[in-house]
Amino acid sequence: MIIGAALLVGATVVILGACVLLILAVVAVRARRHSRTQRDEMLLSPLRPPLITVASGEDDDGAAAEQLTWATGVSRTVLDRNIVEMLTKIRGVPAEQLVHVLEVHGAVDAAVAQMSSRSTVKRARAAQLLGLARAGHTVPLLVEALGDEAVEVRNSAAYALGLIGDPAAAGPVLAAIGAPERGLPAATAAEALQSMGVGISEVLRDGMADPNARTRMVAAHLSGERSFTRGLPELRGLLDADPDLTVRETSASAIGRLGRSEDVGILVRHTVPSEPLALRRACVIALGDLGEAEAIPALAVLLDDSDPRLAELAATALLSMGPDGRDALAGHENDPAVRSARLLASLQKASA
Amino acid sequence: MSWDGFVEGLRSFVLWSMDVTAVPIIIYFILINTSLLVLIVLAYLEFRAQQRRRSTAVTWQGAGLAPGVSLLVPAYNEEAGIVMAVKSFLTLRYPRHEVVVVDDGSSDETFARLEEAFDLVQVPRELPHEIPIRAKVLGIFVPRDGRTRLVVVRKENSGRSEAINVAINAASEPLVAMIDGDSILEPDGLLHVTRPFADDPTRMVATGGAIRPVNGSRVVSGRIVRVEMPQTWIPRIQLVEYLRAFLLGRTGWSRLGGLILISGAFGLFRRDVVVEVGGLDPDSIGEDFELVMRIHKRLRDEGRDYSIEFVPEPVSWTEVPVTAKVLRNQRRRWHRGLWETLWAYRSMLFRPKYGRIGWLALPYYWLFELFAPLLELFGIIIVPLALALGIVNVPFAILFLVLAYGYAVLVTLSAMVVDEWAFHKHDRWRAIWQTIAASVLENIGYRQATVWWRLEGWWSSLRGKKHVWGVMTRTGFDEDPA
Repeated sequence: MIIGAALLVGATVVILGACVLLILAVVAVRARRHSRTQRDEMLLSPLRPPLITVASGEDDDGAAAEQLTWATGVSRTVLDRNIVEMLTKIRGVPAEQLVHVLEVHGAVDAAVAQMSSRSTVKRARAAQLLGLARAGHTVPLLVEALGDEAVEVRNSAAYALGLIGDPAAAGPVLAAIGAPERGLPAATAAEALQSMGVGISEVLRDGMADPNARTRMVAAHLSGERSFTRGLPELRGLLDADPDLTVRETSASAIGRLGRSEDVGILVRHTVPSEPLALRRACVIALGDLGEAEAIPALAVLLDDSDPRLAELAATALLSMGPDGRDALAGHENDPAVRSARLLASLQKASA
Repeated sequence: MSWDGFVEGLRSFVLWSMDVTAVPIIIYFILINTSLLVLIVLAYLEFRAQQRRRSTAVTWQGAGLAPGVSLLVPAYNEEAGIVMAVKSFLTLRYPRHEVVVVDDGSSDETFARLEEAFDLVQVPRELPHEIPIRAKVLGIFVPRDGRTRLVVVRKENSGRSEAINVAINAASEPLVAMIDGDSILEPDGLLHVTRPFADDPTRMVATGGAIRPVNGSRVVSGRIVRVEMPQTWIPRIQLVEYLRAFLLGRTGWSRLGGLILISGAFGLFRRDVVVEVGGLDPDSIGEDFELVMRIHKRLRDEGRDYSIEFVPEPVSWTEVPVTAKVLRNQRRRWHRGLWETLWAYRSMLFRPKYGRIGWLALPYYWLFELFAPLLELFGIIIVPLALALGIVNVPFAILFLVLAYGYAVLVTLSAMVVDEWAFHKHDRWRAIWQTIAASVLENIGYRQATVWWRLEGWWSSLRGKKHVWGVMTRTGFDEDPA
């Protein structure tokens, strides 16, 4: 009993002590944030007018930018942080002037050095700064960072490569999506690849044969978005036989955007009831996007489909195909799907 | 029997009860506290990673891979706030989303308000029957402007789950978000909760977002402009419960890969997966929990590679009960739903193919969520009795109580540190003191009452009593029209 009581007292003291520590932690976190905000504000206030002048594009003689290069010590650190934030929003001459300020401050060289820092946050921020400064010479370094152990660094490196826009980095970015254990998030990869111009079409073709489903999906999606018609054979292959439904749906949408009349057959083939409903619907929408007259008979058949959504999508597609498409609706005027599609089309037309 | 005899008998019974239960209860006490500690550590690790991610986040406006989202809003007698809610949902920052409102046979002016505000016209559309529906659909309406992405479905009253199932049938986007009509979403909320789908489009099937009580906050046109503490203690204590549940519980489980509960107030799902498993079960009391369990079971049975994640960023704000009566009804329903779902999926326990769900998450919910009120009630009865009968000494009992409830406060304070560190939604210092006070006051009366209500819910299920949905009386927001 005595041991039990002593244990109880000990445990209670530990718990209550931990509670007090946690309360102090809450107060400390808040107080630290307040004091840091105030300090940054105080340090930045004399530099704010020239910073705004540069950012708003009014620094014609470069005097304000020159003034910013004089900042030293902690003021310089705070200023550089603000410049990096601004660079995510501004382009053109003001951005170039601000990058020059960063270069004079040695921030770009420091970022290169920090790419090998032990701190994940420092490596990630360094990568972002290199991208925002459009430091083209650091592409190999950033490509290497796509394989970093921390996802934040991989993300930041892909973001930076997207900003630099060098198509030579497209292959590594796409390949990084499916890297085992160290994959690059598909959304970041897609945004980065979108900024790399037309030179990436071959890379996307290769990506559609990748063993990783996410890589194939991103490659298929971007091929459609960027209208890379050279990827059509691969897209057809994915729609036909990919084991992943999301990849097949994405491929159908992409074919709808950039396909040709010979793609009608393959899309129609996947509107049959034995296919998953989501894929059938994606194919009907794609047929509408394609707008080829060869699709009209197949779409007319789908007006009688047991899925009312599919029938309405088919009616909508036919309505968008001109007089021949509208003629194909004959005999179905009283179908709910056709009436609904007609009403929505008329509402949209009236508001256009 | 004489009074002395009764007291002696009672004394023997209490002594026997304490003898028999002492070891199991101490083991339980150690286990539950250790598991909470593990969850705190896991949540801390997850938040450290999240914080790192946030401090190095690059701008993402949802371009490219952002999947379209259908916001599903079941509405029953929501005339007061439905128009404002729909307007705020329509103006969320997201590249492609639609709002599907299902008027579940409201007896007030819910539909009339929507019809007037959006100039609705009836569409002669037939809804797909992907999820079977019992109630009759009365009509489908869209705005006359032809641009606003709103669909309103009127149906006979048949409950929230069926209303959501109808909305799923009417939805046209690949993701569906189930939200309450009285919820307020963060302007960037959809961008946060869809991000895991964009990052991992072939595996992600569901994400849950953190929910916070909105009581007391300043709301203008369906947006929170100032986060404030609730005015009274019942919602303040619920705020503490929400912090614990979302910032420690679900974050920890998500880190562990064992998330089995996504709150009905905000959850985002792949539409095709929800359709594949048959939608919400209209007969289930814990329909949100049941749906996630059904998804886990189906996908694991089929050996599919998938992921369900929790997004700790505050996504949705909801009004919590302010009266004991409404709170009682809510807690009875929650515990009943918990029991019925756990029982329905008992076959998943300790089966290798269900992985961490079967080996960790479900046993945890059985032991520390379902049975917790039963054991706590035992303590609430036995300890005062033992004290009254002089079986245990007073200082010892008080120390034990301080330890037990001190631990509960410690868990809450851990969540507070995380909240302050990562989100710091409350500007005023007063909010901190009020939250600390609520974490202590929670243990005096509130906790005991909720223990009783939860057991009431469980008991009514065991007796096969039909559940009656109570009315959640809304007090409305501190709406500033200016």
